[in-house]
Amino acid sequence: MLQAESLGKTYRVAEKESGMAGTLRHVFRRKTRDVHAVRDVTFHVAEGEFVGFIGANGAGKTTTLKMLSGLIRPSHGRVRVANFDPFRRQRAFLRQITLIMGQKQQLIWDLPAIDTLRINAAVYELERGEAERRVAELAEMLDVARLLTTPVRKLSLGERMKCELLAALLHHPRVLFLDEPTLGLDINAQEAIRGFLELYNQRYGATVLLTSHYMADITALCSRVLIIHEGSLLYDGSLTEIVERLMPSREIELHLAEPVPREVLAEFGEVSQLEGTSASLVVERSQVQRSVVAIFDRLRPIDLFVKEPAIERVIAPLLKGQGLGTP
Amino acid sequence: MKALARTIWLFWTTSLLAELEYRTNFAFSLLTSALNLVASLFTLSLFFRYDAELGGWSWGEAVMVLGTFTILQGFSATLLQPNLNRIVEHVRQGTLDFVLLKPIDTQLWLSLRRVSPWGLPDVLLGVGIVVYGAALGDVTWRGAIMGLGCLACSLVILYALWFMMAATTVWFVQIYNVTELLRALLDAGRFPIDAFPRGAYRFVFTFVVPVAFMTTVPVRALLGDASGPGLLAAFGLAATLAWAARALLHYALRDYTSASS
Amino acid sequence: MIYALRVFAAQLHTALVLTTTYRAEMILWALSGTLPIILMGVWGEAARTGAMPYTPVEMVRYFVAVLVVRQLTFVWVIWEFEEEVVTGRLSSLLLRPIDPVWNYVANHLAERLARLPMIALLVGLCFWLHPEAIFVPSPAVAATALGVTALSFIVRFLLQYTLAMACFVVERASSLESLSFIAFVFLSGMLAPLDLYPAWVANLAAWTPFPYFVYVPAQILVGADVDVPRAVGLLFVWGALLLIAQRWAWRRGVSRYSAMGA
Repeated sequence: MLQAESLGKTYRVAEKESGMAGTLRHVFRRKTRDVHAVRDVTFHVAEGEFVGFIGANGAGKTTTLKMLSGLIRPSHGRVRVANFDPFRRQRAFLRQITLIMGQKQQLIWDLPAIDTLRINAAVYELERGEAERRVAELAEMLDVARLLTTPVRKLSLGERMKCELLAALLHHPRVLFLDEPTLGLDINAQEAIRGFLELYNQRYGATVLLTSHYMADITALCSRVLIIHEGSLLYDGSLTEIVERLMPSREIELHLAEPVPREVLAEFGEVSQLEGTSASLVVERSQVQRSVVAIFDRLRPIDLFVKEPAIERVIAPLLKGQGLGTP
Repeated sequence: MKALARTIWLFWTTSLLAELEYRTNFAFSLLTSALNLVASLFTLSLFFRYDAELGGWSWGEAVMVLGTFTILQGFSATLLQPNLNRIVEHVRQGTLDFVLLKPIDTQLWLSLRRVSPWGLPDVLLGVGIVVYGAALGDVTWRGAIMGLGCLACSLVILYALWFMMAATTVWFVQIYNVTELLRALLDAGRFPIDAFPRGAYRFVFTFVVPVAFMTTVPVRALLGDASGPGLLAAFGLAATLAWAARALLHYALRDYTSASS
Repeated sequence: MIYALRVFAAQLHTALVLTTTYRAEMILWALSGTLPIILMGVWGEAARTGAMPYTPVEMVRYFVAVLVVRQLTFVWVIWEFEEEVVTGRLSSLLLRPIDPVWNYVANHLAERLARLPMIALLVGLCFWLHPEAIFVPSPAVAATALGVTALSFIVRFLLQYTLAMACFVVERASSLESLSFIAFVFLSGMLAPLDLYPAWVANLAAWTPFPYFVYVPAQILVGADVDVPRAVGLLFVWGALLLIAQRWAWRRGVSRYSAMGA
C-alpha cells in the first residue's frame, strides 16, 4: 500500500544574528545552513495496517507524514502510496486518502457541521443518498448525530474533533494520515476517538498512519511502531517487542501486613520503592513467576500486583538518542 | 462539470450563510458604496467645474471610467478579498494542507471558495454609472459588446495580479498586505489614462500596474474608439497574466514547507 | 507621575522593537499611501489646461504636503481596539495600573518613527516625478506645520478612539469608522484643495474637524497664508469635546464590559 525508500527532506534555513548589526550583515552576506528534517527513511506498510510514528518534537514524524500524504516534496528518495506519487496530488489519489490534524480544523466555524459535510460530499462527488447513509453510519459510530446541526463554534473540543473525523472520513478513504488527533482532548474524548479509529480500521480495512505524543494512543491502536529520532528511523517493528528489548523486566508492587527491612526485600528483586508497608520491586521478566511464588511464601503480602513498566519510561531514553542497545 | 457546479453552489451558499450571521452589514455597505460614489463623482465634477481638459475626455466619458473602476472595486470586494486575502491565513494556520489534499483544483478552491455580498452594491452602482455615462454619449451595440469583452479581460487581469501577489505569501507570510499596495495603485483607475502626465505616470499605469487596461481600454472599446492592436493587447495581457498566476502557484507549492505540528 | 512615564517609556520601547519585526508589513502599509501621488499627477495636468486658482506647481506642492501630513497623522486605533475587545485581551490591559490608551499611543508613535524613512522615500519619488515643484520649507514654516500636524494627529486619534468605544456595544464598530473615513477623505482636502470646492460644501466642512486634519496643515507646509491661531484654537476645541465624549463612553463601556464577565 505504502512504500517509502530512502525518503529524505532537507530545508535550507537562513542564519541570522539578532540586533541591527546582524540584520545588516545578513543583507549583504546570507549565511544558510541545511536542516535535515528527515534522513533516509525506508519502510513499507501493507493495506489494513495500523502504524504509529513515535518521536520527540521536531524529530521528523510530521514531515514524514506530510511527504507521504503529498503535501511536501521530498528532497530525495521515493515514496508511493496506493501506487501513486503523492506529491503529484492527482485527483484519483486524493480521493483515497485523508489527513486529520489535531487542533487544526476544516469544519466551517460559524455553521453547523452538516454544512461542511454537504460540501465534502459534493467535493468527493458522493450521491446525496449515499452521502446521507454514510453520515448516519459514521455519526452513529462517533455518537455525534445530535451535534451535527449545532454551530461548530458552540461544540466542545472533543465534540468538534469527532465531527472533524466524520467530515474527513465521509469519502471512505483507504489511507488515513492522523497527525496528533487527540491533542488537547480530555480523557473521555481521547478514549472515544481511539475506540472509533479501531472500529473504523477493522470495519473498512483502512490503512492508518498515526503520530501522537500520547503513548496511550499508540499502545491502544498500533501493533507496529516506527521510532523516528532526528530524522532517522531508529526502529520499525512491534511495540511489545521493543518494550521487551529495552526493558525486559516487570514491576512487582507489594502491600505488606507489617514493615519489612530493605535487605530482606532485596532478596526477591531490586527495590525501587519502599515506604512503610508498601514496596515496589523490579524483577527480570523470566524470574517473575518464581519471585511471586517466593514472595507469597515468605512475606505473606496483603496485596500484590505485577505491572508492566510505563512505556513512556521505556521509550524515553530512545527518544533522547541513547540508542537501542544490544537485544 | 455538473459536480463542479454543485460544489461551487455549495461553496457560495455556505459562505453567504456564514456572512449573514453578521446581519447589520448589507444596508450599511449599500450606504457606504453610495456615499463613496457620490464623493468620487463630486471630485470628478470639480475638474470640469474649472474647465480642465482631463486628457480630452468629456464628462460622460470620464464618468464611465469611474463607473468601470467601481465595478472592479465591487468585484474585488465580492470575490477577490474574501478569497485571496485569506491565503495567508491558510498558510499561517496550516489549513492550506486541507485545501491541497482535496480532490479539487487548488487554485479553484482558493479563488472561489467564498463570496461576499458586501461588494455587490459597488458592482450594481458601477454598472448604473456606466449606463448613465453611455446614455450621455452614443454607444453602439458593437461598442457595447467590445466593451463587455474588454471588461471581462479587466476582471481577469485584476484577478491574476491580485492572485499572484497573494500567492507570494506562501513564501513570505510577512508581506500579507502586499495586496493593499495593489489596491492603492488601482485608485489611478478612477481617471482615464490620458488625464495623467506623459512619461512615468502613463508608463507605470500601463505597463507596470496595467490600470489603463483595466478601466480606460474597456471604455474606449465601448465608445468604439478601441484600435485593433489595443484590443489584442488587452486580450493578450489577460491571457498571459492568467497563465502566469497559475504557474506561480504551482511553483510556490513545489517548495511548500507546511507548518509543523 | 514618574511611574506612569516609566511605564510609557517601556511600552514605547517594546513597540519600537515590534516595528523591526513587522517591518515588511509596515513598509507596505506606508507605500500604500500613494493616492496623493496619483492625484498630484491628475490635478497637476488639469491645472495646466484649466482655469483654477492654482498653478500646476502649486498643485503638486499641495499634494506633496498632503502626502506628508497624511503619513504623519495616520491612525488605526479602532482596529486594534476592536480586536482586543473581541478576543477578550482588553481584560488583561484593564488590569494594568495604566490606562490602555497609552498602549495604543505607544504603538502609533513607534510606528510613526519607523515610518520616517518611507515618508522621505515617497517625497523623493514625488520630486523625481515633478522636479519643477521641488521646494524646501523654511524652518519656521516647517516647525509650525509640524506643530499643527502633531495637534491634528492627537485630535484624529481621539476621534477614532471615541468611535472605538462603540465596540463595547456593537459587534462591528469599525463600520462606523468606514463612514467617518468617507467623510474624512471627502472633507479633509485629500481629494482636492478645499478652496476649489463649491462654497456650501466648504462651509459644511468647516463645521467638522476634518479640514484641520489634512488641508490646514498642508497649506501651512506649502507656505500659504493660514490663520494659524484660529486653526490651533479650533483643534483644541474639537480635542476637548472629543476627550469629554471619550471619557464618558469609556466609563460606561468598561463597566458594561466587566459586568458581562470579561
